[in-house]
Amino acid sequence: MEKTILIGGKAGQGTAVTSHFIGKVFCALGYYVFNYRDYPSLIRGGHNFNVLRISDKPVYSHKDKYDIILAFDQKTINLHQKNLKREGFILGDKTLKTKRLQKIDIQPILSKLKAPKIIENDILIGWLFKYFGVDKNFLLKEAEKVFKGKKTGLIKKAIEKGYSLAPKKERLKRVGSKKYFISGSQGIGIGALNSGIDIYIAYPMTPATPVLHFLAGKQLKDNILVLQLENEISVINSALGASFAGAKTMVGTSGGGFALMTEAMSLASISELPLVVYLAQRTGPATGVPTYTAQSDLKFAVNAGHGEFPRIVVAPGDSQEAILRTQEAFYLSLKYRTLAIIIGDKHVAESDYSFDTLKVSPLTNQKFILKNPPKNYKSYKITKNGVSPRAVPGQEPVIRATSYGHNEYGNTIEDAKWTIKMNDKRFKKVRYLEKEISKLNPVSIYGKGKNLIIAWGSTKGAILDSLPELKSFRFLQVSYISPFPKKVIENEIKKSKRVVLVENNATGLLGDIIAEKTGFIIKEKILKYDARPFVSDYIINKVKKKK
Amino acid sequence: MKSQYFGTKEENTWCPGCPNFGILQAFKNALADLVNEKKIKAKNIVIASGIGCHAKIFDYLNVNGFYGLHGRVLPLCFGMKVSNPELTVIGFGGDGDTYAEGISHFVHNCRYNADITMLVHNNKVFALTTGQATPTSEKGFVGRSTPLGVKDKPLNPIASAIVNGATFVARGSALNTNHLKELIREAIKHKGFSFIDILQPCLTFNNFSPYLQKHIYKLDKNHKVTDFRQAFRKSMEWDYSFKEKDKIPIGIFYKIKKPTFGEQWPQLKKSWYKVKRKINFKKTVEEFK
Repeated sequence: MEKTILIGGKAGQGTAVTSHFIGKVFCALGYYVFNYRDYPSLIRGGHNFNVLRISDKPVYSHKDKYDIILAFDQKTINLHQKNLKREGFILGDKTLKTKRLQKIDIQPILSKLKAPKIIENDILIGWLFKYFGVDKNFLLKEAEKVFKGKKTGLIKKAIEKGYSLAPKKERLKRVGSKKYFISGSQGIGIGALNSGIDIYIAYPMTPATPVLHFLAGKQLKDNILVLQLENEISVINSALGASFAGAKTMVGTSGGGFALMTEAMSLASISELPLVVYLAQRTGPATGVPTYTAQSDLKFAVNAGHGEFPRIVVAPGDSQEAILRTQEAFYLSLKYRTLAIIIGDKHVAESDYSFDTLKVSPLTNQKFILKNPPKNYKSYKITKNGVSPRAVPGQEPVIRATSYGHNEYGNTIEDAKWTIKMNDKRFKKVRYLEKEISKLNPVSIYGKGKNLIIAWGSTKGAILDSLPELKSFRFLQVSYISPFPKKVIENEIKKSKRVVLVENNATGLLGDIIAEKTGFIIKEKILKYDARPFVSDYIINKVKKKK
Repeated sequence: MKSQYFGTKEENTWCPGCPNFGILQAFKNALADLVNEKKIKAKNIVIASGIGCHAKIFDYLNVNGFYGLHGRVLPLCFGMKVSNPELTVIGFGGDGDTYAEGISHFVHNCRYNADITMLVHNNKVFALTTGQATPTSEKGFVGRSTPLGVKDKPLNPIASAIVNGATFVARGSALNTNHLKELIREAIKHKGFSFIDILQPCLTFNNFSPYLQKHIYKLDKNHKVTDFRQAFRKSMEWDYSFKEKDKIPIGIFYKIKKPTFGEQWPQLKKSWYKVKRKINFKKTVEEFK
């Protein structure tokens, strides 16, 4: 069983909530669901849509051919009916104009219920699930859980009414255990909470904002502090102040805000303070296409900041990975006193993924702060692995952090010898980081073909869904970009016949990094830079055509 | 405890006779007093500095510290305070540092009213970069980047701080170290955002010592520090230009009680590094099933 449903309407009509709810019900029935959100940068009007893909087998991406279109307005039909499958239909109010409409006379129902227009969605939902043959009580129970007290009575009545109007065409049964349904942003938030985050600071920017909202909503219950400050420069400098004083701290932003933060990333490096930065990419440059996706900031993340310094850059490919990679970012950043950047994008951040179980990282949740620093404590003590044991102010000895060239005590120096020593100290960590990261699946390989697709981040889903059609291909997902898992990537490339790079950008940024690190130039690239994510059919066609 | 305790053996690279020495001494004296009076604990003192001549104070003070970036002193201070409410947080900034690059942080930290103290070494010039105009340089100031003279009025930091919500606003002079010491003591003791604009003539690039000494006077006891209108009027008495008839008041302009940032957040009771967490993954992901 597999269905793809498009739900479209004006911003403010509740397409996202409707789509999420339908997805939730299917997850409760044991189906795998992927939910894609598409919305322009406006608050009311325009055109928003969601694509829900539902299957009894795991799915990791959406499709662009639809079985059903749930239309809240005419525009949805005008824009999307060309992609409706031949046997598909459109569901909506009787005033909509199309030949393939399953119509409901909505206005009289709303009048009778004395309900606002938004309740129309629930009538359609009721209709839909009857059509699928899902038990009404099951549906109502799920509605109660999801809408918790928000006009639940009215919503349930509307669902029941819609249910009563539909034919029962299919008999979808429970197919397995209940699935988790979680977005990438929620994954980042959960990863942070499970890392023992103390403080999250941000300035609102799409598509990083959902993490700010998620954690802000948890702050009292989970005893964390979530702050919105005057700008991104303040955000990251405050975060470094907080980190210096001992808090586990994270900031989140998108490309434009990340640009403002780069100055202080240099500061994080020389002051050797742990800090986790979440970078949710969107389409640039500058304001670009702000609510849409891209993978165009990879080299920016790897190179952000003036001066040379090591950093951790990790790219989760879905919401489960978002949990794990966020935990790893915290662990490594704290253990090595090094900046860690989690690079995601709008597609991972705002898509909902389904899983049988959610995994948590086994890395222990430590603070890496000395309990009783010695009297002769040195803030920048030179050690074998370059990591100085960290103490925080308020403990007896004087604790120093500095943006300036310094000696082991953190006192200012400008001489050649100490400049080299401290630079070497910071770079010493890389070897140890590489070793540590090699145990964290820095790359994942899917499939067994002799040819290779290489990609990173959010393209994972569409590529995984392409593999069954591309039997001769393996898929190499690169998760750690810095330190770069050079050897294993080199080996995989060497033993492959055909190598294809898939990226959501115009120039193939990962390809550049692979070339820089391994000397191997990938000539075959499937690049997409229309601000939209890949779907599997697109990849399959491109791969097959190039052959 | 003597004030020498707060000194270091690092070589001091300020110009000979620089009024910054006066600020350093006043600060050390204020700290010694406050520690002796058990108002603060030495181990909890933490300073932050920006970049410029003022920032060298980082090396001359034997306290916890964060030598930050140009203009970013206040975010560092704010972050340290929300991270550990036990800390006594004091920021040092220059006038270019605080009022040019850092002006947004200055305005907003006045609003936030976190319990931190901000001391600005205001010499009305960029000194370490060899003599360019800053936002408090007077109209007509000729510097190396402004040979035609500055065309704009100087910014009035005292008025700005009062208008933007700082709850302790004072002006001091690096040439009056005893008076300055008292101001610093009061500022650190004050619960909320305390700000002192310290006039500190630069002997090399902008020596307004003679003018300062001639025109300065101490705010008298009749000045009502809790009266917003009076404080604001006083703040406008001198507009940071060197006019013949002007008088320069020093002292506390404004001081009121208002809830601090930390007092308004239920989570900000304990130092985060001391918080022990019990994390239950199953429970945190329950809502997604």
